[in-house]
Amino acid sequence: MVKHGYIHIPFCKNICSYCDFCKLFYDTGYVCRYLEALKGEIETFYQGEPLTTIYVGGGTPSSLSLAELEQFFSIISVLQRDDDCEFSIEANFDSITVEKLELFKKYGVNRISFGLETTHSWILKKMNRTLDIEYVNYIISYCKKIGITNINVDLMYAFPGETLEEVEEDIDFILSLDVSHVSTYSLILEEHTKLYLDKENSISEELDAQMYELICSKLSNYYHYEISNFAKDDFYSQHNLCYWRNDQYYGFGLGASGYLKNIRYNNTRSITHYLQRSYHYDEETISDCDKIEYQVILNLRTKWGISKEEFFIRFDRQLADVYNYSKLVYDGYLIDNGNFVFIPEKYWYLSNEIIVRLLEECSYE
Amino acid sequence: MKQENIRNFCIIAHIDHGKSTLADRILEKTGAITERELKSQMLDSMDIERERGITIKLNAVQLTYKHQDQEYYFHLIDTPGHVDFSYEVSRSLAACEGALLVVDAAQGVEAQTLANLYLAIDNNLTVIPVVNKIDLPNADIDKVITELENIGFSRDEIVLTSAKTGVGIDELLEAIIHKIPAPTGNSSSPLKALIFDSLFDAYRGVIISIRVVEGEVKVGDMIRMMETGAVYDVVGLSINTPKEKKVKTLKAGEVGYLYASIKSISDVLVGDTITLDNNPANMPLPGYKPMKPMVYCGLYPIESSKFEDLREALEKLKLNDASLTFEPETSKALGFGFRCGFLGLLHMEIIEERIEREFGIDLIATSPSVVYEVLLTDGSKTMVDSPTKMPKREVISKTLEPYVKTSIFTPSDYIGPIMELCQDKRGTFINMEYLDQTRVTIHYELPLSEIVYDFFDKLKSYSKGYASFDYELIGYKESNLVKMDILLNGEIVDALSVIVHKDFAYNRGKVVVEKLKEIIPRQMFEVPIQAAIGTHVIARTDIKALRKNVLAKCYGGDVTRKKKLLEKQKEGKKRMKQIGSVEVPQEAFLSILSTSEK
Repeated sequence: MVKHGYIHIPFCKNICSYCDFCKLFYDTGYVCRYLEALKGEIETFYQGEPLTTIYVGGGTPSSLSLAELEQFFSIISVLQRDDDCEFSIEANFDSITVEKLELFKKYGVNRISFGLETTHSWILKKMNRTLDIEYVNYIISYCKKIGITNINVDLMYAFPGETLEEVEEDIDFILSLDVSHVSTYSLILEEHTKLYLDKENSISEELDAQMYELICSKLSNYYHYEISNFAKDDFYSQHNLCYWRNDQYYGFGLGASGYLKNIRYNNTRSITHYLQRSYHYDEETISDCDKIEYQVILNLRTKWGISKEEFFIRFDRQLADVYNYSKLVYDGYLIDNGNFVFIPEKYWYLSNEIIVRLLEECSYE
Repeated sequence: MKQENIRNFCIIAHIDHGKSTLADRILEKTGAITERELKSQMLDSMDIERERGITIKLNAVQLTYKHQDQEYYFHLIDTPGHVDFSYEVSRSLAACEGALLVVDAAQGVEAQTLANLYLAIDNNLTVIPVVNKIDLPNADIDKVITELENIGFSRDEIVLTSAKTGVGIDELLEAIIHKIPAPTGNSSSPLKALIFDSLFDAYRGVIISIRVVEGEVKVGDMIRMMETGAVYDVVGLSINTPKEKKVKTLKAGEVGYLYASIKSISDVLVGDTITLDNNPANMPLPGYKPMKPMVYCGLYPIESSKFEDLREALEKLKLNDASLTFEPETSKALGFGFRCGFLGLLHMEIIEERIEREFGIDLIATSPSVVYEVLLTDGSKTMVDSPTKMPKREVISKTLEPYVKTSIFTPSDYIGPIMELCQDKRGTFINMEYLDQTRVTIHYELPLSEIVYDFFDKLKSYSKGYASFDYELIGYKESNLVKMDILLNGEIVDALSVIVHKDFAYNRGKVVVEKLKEIIPRQMFEVPIQAAIGTHVIARTDIKALRKNVLAKCYGGDVTRKKKLLEKQKEGKKRMKQIGSVEVPQEAFLSILSTSEK
C-alpha cells in the first residue's frame, strides 16, 4: 500500500552553484503549463490511496506566485490525506512571504523546510544565494505564530575554504531560531554544477569529519535520528522516514523518483518531454534480492537500524539467515539489541564501509 | 625430399628488431601464405605474444622455394626472444644449420644480438647477418655495418632488408640457399631426433617438434626418449606448411611434428633425444640440460574458493610449459596457494597474466624470490626458495645466494650511471669492452636477486632506454642475508616477508613501509606498518584511520544512484584481501619489490 507522495516543483529564482537537483529558472509561462502537466501525471498514476505524508520539494516551491500556488494546491487536493497527514513544503527565504505562509496554512501544510545553508556572506556569494538574517528571524517566528511549529532548517557545511569556526557560528544561529528539526549536509561537489566546473577543491576528509562531530555535539538537544538529520522530541520527518524504511512512494513532477510495487522509476528531467506528458524516463524492476539490499542500506541510515521483525514480515526470512553479521557485531561496527540491528552513532560517518562489509556477507540465493 | 635441398635455419635478433615481421615476409615470398592470409606475425599464435611483441612458444614451418629449377625445402624455426628462454633458444638453434642474425638498422647491435650470436656460434651454425628496417628514416646503415664488422662479419656477407617493404628478401632467400649448408645426417643410421619444443593438444596429447639428425622415423615406430626412458608408439607425423600436412616418415635433416598419445609432458623434455626402441642409438645428441626455475613466487587466489581452479589452471599451463613448477603452500595471511617456479621474471609475469586472463582467476602474487643456499650449524645444507622457509637465525652458519654474470650493452655516454646502478645492486665489476668508439659492453657480477627486482627498469631509465642486457648464472656466493618481516597492525604478514642483504635491510624496510602506506587504503582504525628483522623493528609508519565514507544525503530521488555507488565500493573491496583486521589490495604484495627510494 502506497502511503507517501512526493511532488517536485522545479522552478528557482536563481540557481545555486552547488545544486545538481532538477531545476529551471522561474518563468511564469512555463509554470502554468507545468502545473497542467503535473495535474495530468497525478490523474494518470494516482490510485486514490489515503496518504500519511505529502512532501512538496524542489527546486523552490516558494518561488511560485500566490496565484500559482493556489492553482498548485487545488491540483494536489485530489491526493487523499489521512487525518494526521504530515504535509511538508520546501521554502527559501528569498521568495517566502507571510502571504504565502498564510496560504500554506490555509491548504493544510503543517511542516515547512527552509533552505538556509549558511549565514556567511562570502559563502552565500559563492553559492549564488542571498540571505537576510533579520528576515529569517521574522519568518520563523511568523510560522510559529500561525501554528506551523514543525519547522526544518537545512544547513550545508564543508564548503571549500570554510572553517570549523564558521560552521560553529552557523549552528549557533540555527540554535537561536529554536526550530524542531535540522538537516545538515556535507557539500558534495557534483559534476555538472557550477562549483565543480569552477574547480573548487573539497576540504580535507579530516576537517569534514571534525565539522560533523562539532555539529553532532552542538545539536545534543536534538535526537540524531539519521546520519544527517536531527529532530526535537518526536518531530522526525515522517516523509523522509518512508525512504529510510524502504517504503513505497509516489513521485510526481519533473525529475521526481518513485517506488511502486516492484518498480523504482525516474521521471524525465526534460521539461519539453514532461509538458508532452511523457513522464517516466526509466523504470527499474526491483528483484527480491535488490529489495533486501535496499532495506539494509536505507534502514542502517537511522538510529533504529534494521527491524528484525519488519525484515521477516517483508521477506519471509530472518535477517541473520540472509546476512552473517556476527563478525561486524563482534568488532563493534553493528549493535544487535535483540529486536534491531543498527550502526552505533560513532561509526555513522563510516557507514559505507560497514554496509559494504555487511552486503558482502550475503548468503541470499 | 632431397637432403641437399633442405635448409634448416632460424632467425635470431634482439627483441623488437623485426624478427617476426621478417619471418612473415619469408612465408609470404615463398608462397606459404598469401598476403590476405597474413595475419601480422603469423608465427606468434598466442594473444599475449602478439600483444607483448615477443615469441613465447616455438614454431617450425616448412616452406618450398623454387630456385634455378630446383625445389628447396626451408625449415624456418622460430625462437623466443628473451633471456628467460635462452635454453629453449639454444635447443632450437641446435636443430638448425644456419641462422639469420637480424639487426635493426636504427638500433644497431644490442646485448641479445651478441648473446644470440655466441649461442649460434656455439652450435656451429652458419650465420647470415641481416640489417633490417633499412626503410626507417633514422636508419644508419653504414654505422650498423661497421658494428657488424667489429664483431667479425665481412661487409659483403651482410644482407640489407626491409621486412616491411620487402626490399632485399630475394637476396636473403638466395643467401640462405648458397650459404647455409644442407643437413648431413644418414637416414639409415639408428634414429636420433632432437626435441626442440612441445605443446599440448587436447585431442592428440603432447605434440613434439623434432629435428631428425640421424636415421628415420615412421608412423607406427616404437620410440624411446633417451633421457626419460619413456616409450611410445608413433601415432602420426606431420609438417607445418603452415597448414598441417600429414607425412608417413621423417628422414635425417627433416623437421616436423610427432604425436604418440603422450599424456604427460614430463615425459617430453626439450633437448632430449628420441630414438627407436628396438634399434636405439648408442649416444644421445649432446647439449641436454634439465631446466631449473630461477625465480619463485607464491600465487594465491583472491577468493579462497578458487584454489582448486588455480590448481587446474597451473596444471593446464604446465602441459605446454615444462619449465613451470608448482607445489601447494599455505600462508597465514593468504590462505592456500602455490609456490611456483619460473625461468625468470618475464616468464612469471606471463604465467600470472595468462591465469588471470584465460582462467579468470584474480591472483595475489607474493614478491619473487631466488633460491638461496643456507648452511646450518649442524653442517647440513638447505635450499630456500621462499622467505617463510628461511631457518631461524640461530641455526644458520652461512648464507649464499646465486650470482649472475651480466653483459650490459650501452652507448658509452651512460657508463657512469650504469656502473653506479650496478654498484648499488651489490655488483662486482669485471671488465668493459669497447665495440667501437661509442658502444661498450660492461660485465658485472651481480646477485640474481637484484636483477629480479627492478634492475631492468632502472637500467632502461638510467640509459634513456638505450642499454640492454643479458645474463647467465655463474653459481653461489656467500652473502650476509636476513629475513625481513612486515607487520601490519602488529601481526607479521608472512606473504610480505623478503630475504634481503643485511646492509640494505634498513633502506628496503623504510621504502617498503612507505610504499605500503601509499597502497593500503585507510581503514576503520589506525594501522601501524613495521618492518622488522627478528624482533628488531627497523622501520615504521602509520596509516591514519579513515574519517569519512558515508552517503551524506539519501532521499527519494537519490536511492538508486546511491545504491549503485555502494555496489561500486563493494566491487573495489573484492580486489582486497582481508589480513587479520586489515584490508590489503592486491598490488601491495608486489610493492615490496619496488626499491626506488631516490
